[in-house]
Amino acid sequence: MAAEASPALVLAGAEEQPLRDLAAYRAVGGYAQLERARAQEPQQVIAELIESNLRGRGGAFFPTGRKASFIPTPDKVAKPVYITVNADESEPGTFKDREIMLRVPHRLIEGCLIAAHAIQSRFVFIYIRGEYSTEYDVLQAALDEARAAGLLGDVTMVIHRGAGAYICGEETALLSSLEGERGQPRSKPPFPAIEGLYAAPTLINNVETITTIPKVLEVGPAVYAQIGAPPDSTGTRLFCLSGNVARPGVYELPHGITTRHLVEEVGGGVPDGRSLKAVMMGGSSFPVMTPDDLDTKLDANSLGQKGYFIGSGVVCVLDDRTCMVQFALRVGQFYMHESCGKCTPCRIGTRWLVQMLRAVENGAASESDFDLALDVCDRIIGKCLCVLGDSDAMIVASCVTKFRDEFRAHLEHGGCPFGHDSSLDRLFAPADQHHLAPVAHEAGV
Amino acid sequence: MSLTDEIQRVAKRYPDPKSAILPALRLAQEQYGWLSRAAIEEVGEALDLTPAYCMSVASFYDLFNLEAAGRHTIEVCTNVCCGLVNAQAVLESFEQELGVAPGETTADGEITLRAVECLGGCSTPTIVAVDHRYRQSVTPEDVPAIVEELRNGR
Amino acid sequence: MSDLVRVTIDEREVHVPKGTGIVETALAAGIEIPVFCYEPRLGEGIGACRMCIVEIEGIPKLQTACTTTATDGMVVKTARTSEKASVGQNGTLEFILVNHPLDCPVCDKGGECPLQDLTFRYGPGNTRMNFEKLTFEKPIPISPAISLDRERCILCYRCTRFSEDVSEDGQLVARNRGAMSVITTFEDEPYSGPFTGNVTELCPVGALLPTQYRFEGRPWEIQNVPTVCGMCSVGCNVNATVREGKVKRILSRNHPEIDEGWLCDKGRFAFSHTRAADRIVDPIKRVRLRGFEPVSWDDALDEAERLLRAAHGRVVVALSGSETVEQAYALAKLVRVGLGSHEAMLPEEVSHGLDAYGLPLSAIRDAQVVVVLGDVSVAERAPIVDLWIKAARRNGARVLDELDEKAVRDADRAVLIWSGPGGRGGATVAAHAERLGLAGKPGCGAFYLPETPNGRGAADAWAAASDEEPVETESVGLLIVSGDEAANDPNVRALAERAESVIAVSMFHGLAVGWADLVLPGTSYLERDGTYVNLEGRLQRLRRSAIPPAPDELTWLSQLASRFGVELAPHAPSVFAELSERIYGGLAFGEVGERAPLRGYAGAPEHVETPPLPEPEAAREGLRLVCYKPLFSGPAVERVEELQFQRPPAEVELARADAQARGIANGATVTVSHNGTSVQLHARIAKDLRKGVVRIAREHAGDLRGTVEVSA
Repeated sequence: MAAEASPALVLAGAEEQPLRDLAAYRAVGGYAQLERARAQEPQQVIAELIESNLRGRGGAFFPTGRKASFIPTPDKVAKPVYITVNADESEPGTFKDREIMLRVPHRLIEGCLIAAHAIQSRFVFIYIRGEYSTEYDVLQAALDEARAAGLLGDVTMVIHRGAGAYICGEETALLSSLEGERGQPRSKPPFPAIEGLYAAPTLINNVETITTIPKVLEVGPAVYAQIGAPPDSTGTRLFCLSGNVARPGVYELPHGITTRHLVEEVGGGVPDGRSLKAVMMGGSSFPVMTPDDLDTKLDANSLGQKGYFIGSGVVCVLDDRTCMVQFALRVGQFYMHESCGKCTPCRIGTRWLVQMLRAVENGAASESDFDLALDVCDRIIGKCLCVLGDSDAMIVASCVTKFRDEFRAHLEHGGCPFGHDSSLDRLFAPADQHHLAPVAHEAGV
Repeated sequence: MSLTDEIQRVAKRYPDPKSAILPALRLAQEQYGWLSRAAIEEVGEALDLTPAYCMSVASFYDLFNLEAAGRHTIEVCTNVCCGLVNAQAVLESFEQELGVAPGETTADGEITLRAVECLGGCSTPTIVAVDHRYRQSVTPEDVPAIVEELRNGR
Repeated sequence: MSDLVRVTIDEREVHVPKGTGIVETALAAGIEIPVFCYEPRLGEGIGACRMCIVEIEGIPKLQTACTTTATDGMVVKTARTSEKASVGQNGTLEFILVNHPLDCPVCDKGGECPLQDLTFRYGPGNTRMNFEKLTFEKPIPISPAISLDRERCILCYRCTRFSEDVSEDGQLVARNRGAMSVITTFEDEPYSGPFTGNVTELCPVGALLPTQYRFEGRPWEIQNVPTVCGMCSVGCNVNATVREGKVKRILSRNHPEIDEGWLCDKGRFAFSHTRAADRIVDPIKRVRLRGFEPVSWDDALDEAERLLRAAHGRVVVALSGSETVEQAYALAKLVRVGLGSHEAMLPEEVSHGLDAYGLPLSAIRDAQVVVVLGDVSVAERAPIVDLWIKAARRNGARVLDELDEKAVRDADRAVLIWSGPGGRGGATVAAHAERLGLAGKPGCGAFYLPETPNGRGAADAWAAASDEEPVETESVGLLIVSGDEAANDPNVRALAERAESVIAVSMFHGLAVGWADLVLPGTSYLERDGTYVNLEGRLQRLRRSAIPPAPDELTWLSQLASRFGVELAPHAPSVFAELSERIYGGLAFGEVGERAPLRGYAGAPEHVETPPLPEPEAAREGLRLVCYKPLFSGPAVERVEELQFQRPPAEVELARADAQARGIANGATVTVSHNGTSVQLHARIAKDLRKGVVRIAREHAGDLRGTVEVSA
């Protein structure tokens, strides 16, 4: 699939064919690391994770080993400790965890069991997004197989299906949802490591992170720490390449390749003779990348220096047919639709931004509205309960700032200057449906 | 096995039965097609939760129907990644083929059409979930066959 | 002290116990941190509204004060001194006002609205939002008593948290997600239960409002009179909102030991019975051949005197238990001292056995073990006690409905509660408490939940008026029926049949006119000055909030007393002073206070013999029927339109096992029978009911008594 020799770790063995059954997985060394880890002291496993400097692949890039080390050992707490795997992959442009579950489900399970050993937990919950039906079936089958083979030991593992709410990918919202509540985030502190699921210490990791663990142990933490862009962005990454690119897909590549390399060499560049206008970088939650930054390396520090984020490894290419107002509007509608409604700035701000962006798209705004929009973004960022509102504000603000001329052209043109030529023209947003709110008379949105 | 029994069996997997509310609502919806008043009351009874609470939770999540829905569902991803490569044309083909707008059900009560947020299949746009199973790289040309398939499968 | 931590807030240093919330810490430093969603009585802060946003040194992201607790050396900058926090707070208000309508001039909350106040103090002066606001159908009745305006709602989730975490009824919830979230009940069901009205006071905007108060008053036209609720034995502290001499609304007046600021719906909404259409405003006399007609007060007092004299000392007084201590004493003095009649029919048994186990109600919340005995739901008898028990359970207490003696003995803090008939005025539960060694054990105690609001006070006052013992008389010359509950009591009515003549004191035509020879207008607790003794034994002060339509009881009692040479002051303070010398240790009326402390009962003997416990009942055929007086019943509730939907349905409650044994499903129509009488009712399976017991509201029980059978 990849255009170059794959250094696959997470997807190792599944490059050509999915590695779904236990025997096939064992044939590539599966569950050997679990056995090895279980022979070690739990602290030793955590020490290896710390040494590898593996970091969270869900978006926050927090050091995995350190996170595990925050979980109190069983002699320090009266309650059980839990592991929760975040498989609620819903960030627009992200489709890597799905690949993992379809292609190497046993590696995910092995990672869970190693993590369970490391923090001495006997309960693992995998929270999988509700729309992933086939993925659930595959993972459940693998789990049944692993259980039948006695691999779980005294660990109880439950795959819990979500029901369609992006916010449940936020760790505390995920816990609320798993506890049977509306999936609304909770204020931190207390952090889940101290008071998580059922108010007990809980380790929450993304699917990719957990699935990387067996490979970290296999290649050895010292070796792993040299892969990619050390010291901070070690190892490989499942990049999610999509949009206006010739060969979209999930590519497992080391941190530190350039965006240009990924888009042009691996992905075959922008098709149809079009030119690259912007990249939705890291996910829909972060500032968009402009072409002048294409040579930025895909690692946290290089991206950070330019004001970008690696997020969940999203690289979605927007070609020159994309109206950036429509883009910002559609992303804004997504956040408005997905805002949980708990905190004020996000609940109200996401909707207000949509109203403003729609007015711009219709040419019914004025120049000062751009500054108002930026000010509203500023009043959201860092003021909300969780980062959903911030995410909306960051990407919208980046569009307003970086494409202000294009925004202004809408005013001068009295509407979208692209006419029907924009690739995002007429794009429908589920936020318009409000099928659950018969009592509301929506106006203006 | 009755719905109540099935819910209570699932609830045993969790330290707190309240955790089973999403699987319980899912089971109820699978049985009734949507979460009617009676369905929600049944879930509440099985988990010892109030119907208001169950409705409150259900209404938070997109996958639950609080209104009657068709026997089949067609969900078209219309987030940006699919939109960049013409998801709108796919959605519009379905609208035309079915004669309904997104969020609506065909007059015969067979098929509900929805536009949905990113389904996580961005490398094979447009992603369409037909009865919750993904179809990849769907183009407007594929639409009549998909609808035909559902109608013949009744 | 070692558990104090030093916190600097806006450059002011303050020492508070470790773990104190930052909102409270700031308050200790004299700094206000404004809040909307935060309400400590609902549990921990949730950080939803973002109004209390502050900057904390060492933490890059702004934090919500309501979710942060004080640690040593913490440096906090509120919006007063932090530019960042100020922008956040101002932004929060701007966001809230984006959809909030500016209809303050027609909003009942206007003038006493936290959103209005905080916007004035901290908010933007104008709006930058020039799109259409979210609009909703409004106002929606979420029950006949409460209306909801979703446009005004700022989604602070106070009401839903109350419903889920305090009253635990789980009926008021949020629906949908994000901007489309709304507060709602299930389908079209009204928000019902004993405590719904509290959400109208919790709501920091004009979204949830009492329908009774709609367009009834503006803040500059009203006064809030601090008084005490007279609807049950808890004695919740309230403010009666008065406009032009009429009570328009009842608000809570937080007494942290009694009610924590919560009220039941009866206490909150039943006040309008004072304006009932059948309210008696003039004395009514039976006139031969012409029936009943209003008479002047002079005529009425002449008639009363005549009837009293004609009884020749054979007078019986039936008390309601809703009289003030002063009223009961005045009545007792007239009849006992003036006429030498000592017989009273008390509304319920009263025992002083519990005085050794007295605790504030709030001690229930802190108990480790709470045992609830008796067969009537606590919420039906003394609703607020139910909230204390729920709070205890949430705190991890074991709440038991059987007397687990080991659990009680082993607990550091154990509380026994008797709720239901057969408790002998508290003597039974006192005997249990004594046996289990709760006497003198800190944090341990026992409560008895009486059926009447001031039965204890009335009985004590009656007893204090004279040392003479009643002499049994063959015939009843005159029955004095004091108050509506007595007038409504079938036993009293039966006695009235036997009495030669009857004087009734009643508020309502429907209750007393037709069978009493003389009816004198009664008053409501909202129209009286005086004192009540609540179930803790706490003496509390009633203040006159509304002007009664007729002279109150003390006024005419004093006039009548003087005709019999008995000196009786017409004012509560003087009557109380006389009584206080006898049983309240000389406590002055003025010292009862707006927030009455729990004090010992001065008249209590050193040791009260606790009677032996009754023999456990032998197993028997059939089901033991418990008839109870529902919370939403009685003469006052019957006259309040907004409470009719809360009246008890025609149901018989059964334990699950008993229902299953008889093949009865929840909701099925069943026949309850006893000795040839039978009543058709709907069956309800009640979780709090023990096997072998069925429960029916008194008004639906017909003539059923004792042991019954239930059949499908």
